[in-house]
Amino acid sequence: MMHFLLLFSRQGKLRLQKWFLPLPERERKKIVKDMTTMVLSRKPRTCNFLHWKDLKIVYKRYASLYFCCGLDNQDNELLALEILHRYVELLDKYFGNVCELDIIFNFEKAYFILDEFLMGGEIQETSKQSIAKSVEASDMLQETMEEYMSKPAF
Amino acid sequence: MPAPIRLRELIRTIRTARTQAEEREMIQKECAAIRSSFREEDNTYRCRNVAKLLYMHMLGYPAHFGQLECLKLIASQKFTDKRIGYLGAMLLLDERQDVHLLMTNCIKNDLNHSTQYVQGLALCTLGCMGSSEMCRDLAGEVEKLLKTSNSYLRKKAALCAVHVIRKVPELMEMFLPATKNLLSEKNHGVLHTSVVLLTEMCERSPDMLSHFRKLVPQLVRILKNLIMSGYSPEHDVSGISDPFLQVRILRLLRILGKGDDDSSEAMNDILAQVATNTETSKNVGNAILYETVLTIMDIKSESGLRVLAINILGRFLLNNDKNIRYVALTSLLKTVQTDHNAVQRHRSTIVDCLKDLDVSIKRRAMELSFALVNGNNIRGMMKELLYFLDSCDPEFKADCASGIFLAAEKYAPSKRWHIDTIMRVLTTAGSYVRDDSVPNLIQLITNSVEMHAYTVQRLYKALLDDISQQPLVQVASWCIGEYGDLLVSGQCEEEEPIQVSEDEVLDVLEGLLVSNLSTPVTRGYSLTAIMKLSTRFSSLNRIKKVVSIYGSSIDVELQQRAVEYNALFKKYDHMRPALLERMPIMEKTATNGPAEIVQTNGETESTILDTKHLPNITQPASQANDLLDLLGGNDVVPVIQTTVPTKPASAGGELLDLLGDLSLTGGPTPTPAPSVPMSQPPFLLDGLTSQPLFNDIAAVIPPMTAYNKNGLKIEFTFERSNPNPNIAVITIHATNSTEADMTEFVFQAAVPKTFQLQLLSPSSNVVPALNQGSVTQVIRVLNPQKQQLRMRIKLTYTHKGSPVQDLAEVNNFPPQSWQ
Repeated sequence: MMHFLLLFSRQGKLRLQKWFLPLPERERKKIVKDMTTMVLSRKPRTCNFLHWKDLKIVYKRYASLYFCCGLDNQDNELLALEILHRYVELLDKYFGNVCELDIIFNFEKAYFILDEFLMGGEIQETSKQSIAKSVEASDMLQETMEEYMSKPAF
Repeated sequence: MPAPIRLRELIRTIRTARTQAEEREMIQKECAAIRSSFREEDNTYRCRNVAKLLYMHMLGYPAHFGQLECLKLIASQKFTDKRIGYLGAMLLLDERQDVHLLMTNCIKNDLNHSTQYVQGLALCTLGCMGSSEMCRDLAGEVEKLLKTSNSYLRKKAALCAVHVIRKVPELMEMFLPATKNLLSEKNHGVLHTSVVLLTEMCERSPDMLSHFRKLVPQLVRILKNLIMSGYSPEHDVSGISDPFLQVRILRLLRILGKGDDDSSEAMNDILAQVATNTETSKNVGNAILYETVLTIMDIKSESGLRVLAINILGRFLLNNDKNIRYVALTSLLKTVQTDHNAVQRHRSTIVDCLKDLDVSIKRRAMELSFALVNGNNIRGMMKELLYFLDSCDPEFKADCASGIFLAAEKYAPSKRWHIDTIMRVLTTAGSYVRDDSVPNLIQLITNSVEMHAYTVQRLYKALLDDISQQPLVQVASWCIGEYGDLLVSGQCEEEEPIQVSEDEVLDVLEGLLVSNLSTPVTRGYSLTAIMKLSTRFSSLNRIKKVVSIYGSSIDVELQQRAVEYNALFKKYDHMRPALLERMPIMEKTATNGPAEIVQTNGETESTILDTKHLPNITQPASQANDLLDLLGGNDVVPVIQTTVPTKPASAGGELLDLLGDLSLTGGPTPTPAPSVPMSQPPFLLDGLTSQPLFNDIAAVIPPMTAYNKNGLKIEFTFERSNPNPNIAVITIHATNSTEADMTEFVFQAAVPKTFQLQLLSPSSNVVPALNQGSVTQVIRVLNPQKQQLRMRIKLTYTHKGSPVQDLAEVNNFPPQSWQ
């Protein structure tokens, strides 16, 4: 299973953090720091896999964002690259040509999309259309009179 | 009170901050506003405030005061509130807070909500961060949802069940009935999560594993459909249909097929099909192939399939994509033990990977190379590995050097090659070599007797070039100390002998002593080496001078050595030649490799006792009645195992006592010396103490009762001493069945003239009353003529205030103890 998924910028600023295991706040901060240091110091044409403690770390850079996840030892790293790619595709479909700013200003939506794709560190849906439909339907539920009048609920 | 600012406004504002301090100020201001808004129990804007709090939390600021608010949002009826509330719960709460238990009721209600998206939120939150208590409370609801026909909910319930099982494994049974029809679903989401659920159950319980083996045909069918079916836009990834599901099925098949012939056979065909038909141009195809290879290697597949798998890995190694090469190396490392020959075929590709630029790949290639070294390819492989050692990053050097030493030791084709390899490692990566390799190398060099001249010559030349690498310098100075005579005599068969004078050698060694590059340990080595040369060289005066100078060195270790060596010159000069003689071949026992060699070296010991223990007689059987033999017989090699009672525990004075006292039966430690007829003291020590106490094997000699009178019972148990079968080791156990302790207990024994006996110190001299404990003592009897063992024993003790003494004959030794 995936232990965590982190998104951070080239300057090391965290844009999204999803934890699939209960860890104390201090532990989480340490992991974030370790991951950003390790991944950002990697040279350009090296492989996307690392070893950290007893986890496999898989990371990929998309434009200005690094997507980094921690896996169990028996998980398939090559598939993890596909998982990260799938998530980027979902974001891209939803936001239309997604960029880092979209994720900064709409971080809660990035989480909602992720929660339709992964749960408990495992994939819950393999069909892109299915996920897109669920997120759209949930968004519809959120709409109120205010939203109709372009006044956001939050 | 004006409406709190909107989320996006806040984000925009915070991003305009130019310094950390400015950002902190904005955040503090906003937090204060949010806090007062929470206090006012404002329902309208709670959602907005919590969302802002979550943003600030992501920036790294504390947000714990929002935890309760998340609960309130979850309890709200508005979907917007619930969405943010559950998100906040997942980010801010974890099972460490008691607060999270309050969620349980809300989640329960939401699991039964009329809207599936609300149910989905609840399942998601429970499945991501539910604690064991929550899982126990809500498992029933999850199980119910697992049986629903709504595929959106069913897939989420399946993953939620996985989480429940991870948290509370005992609840696994509960989900078993619901798994019945899971695999007949058409919906890929449900299929995928069901396979995950089945995998989790099989991994955790062998019973479940056997139960689910019957699903193998069904799984094979599903996989086959995925591969054979045409293009399906919904699940397609670069021409492959639902790779995520394929990989998951392969993984489940791996678990089901492991160790089971029938299942493995049932999946043979599909595995071969996947292995041959999958597109390898993109990463996704390779991900499936990778999983297939792992499955083939783990189940009981036929050999053709295994070869196919290894060949796939071999092809991976040639792939341009670094990730794939990395994955191939990792997998090959796992299989090299079981399918060694197949992996050997790809050796040259693996060795090429040593030159890769990527650090992770280099490391894997190095580990795999070491695993592939064998007697046939040692020369070629070593060339590559030495080249790698030269050029690799420092982080690799220590591991590589150790690996090279191990490989060289196991497969060296010749002694000369071995020494050359060691020299190469020491000169190229000398400072990275591990500390324990120095004694190992010294032992190796000692044992290659015919190479001594060559070795010392090469080491000397290396020293002339470079004295900065400490392990090299230490080994070199040790060798020069030992074989300096060979060095100056110019006798070297292997290569052109160099002309070097005694003074030049001493120059080099003294240079080490004064150099800033030498560590204290190295200095110790060189001083001892100089000292040893006093018996090999003729320039005694120079050596005496050096030794006396260091008698006042600031370094305590060095000073002590110098003082002792000085004493050797002044007071014990007659012992010097024998003490500093050539080292014998060191036995390397399996248990204590480096440690005992360090001890034997005498290098790290600085008490006078130990320098004298430089073994000066090689053969323990030598019979010279010389006083020095006495010393030599007290051979230190294996006896310095810490628990050996014969090891003299105190310093110099003890040794002189030993010299003065010829009746040595009590051993070096002061015990009441039994009156035993002694014939040849030197032989005694030679014969007995030079044998390692620890190689005694418990032979099947039955114990016997030697004495049983007046409540005192003495039992003998036997062991045969290996390697000398003439020595019987008897342990006496004295027990006391009376109600009073026997104090000042002394056991003495005497044997006929043809035997020799050594009595070691007893465990105590009080035999406790009522069999509450025993006194044990070890007797060693040398019986070279294999005569029947007889013994006269004398017991003295104090019982109830009065002294007791008794004599007895022990004749009932079992025949195995002396035959």
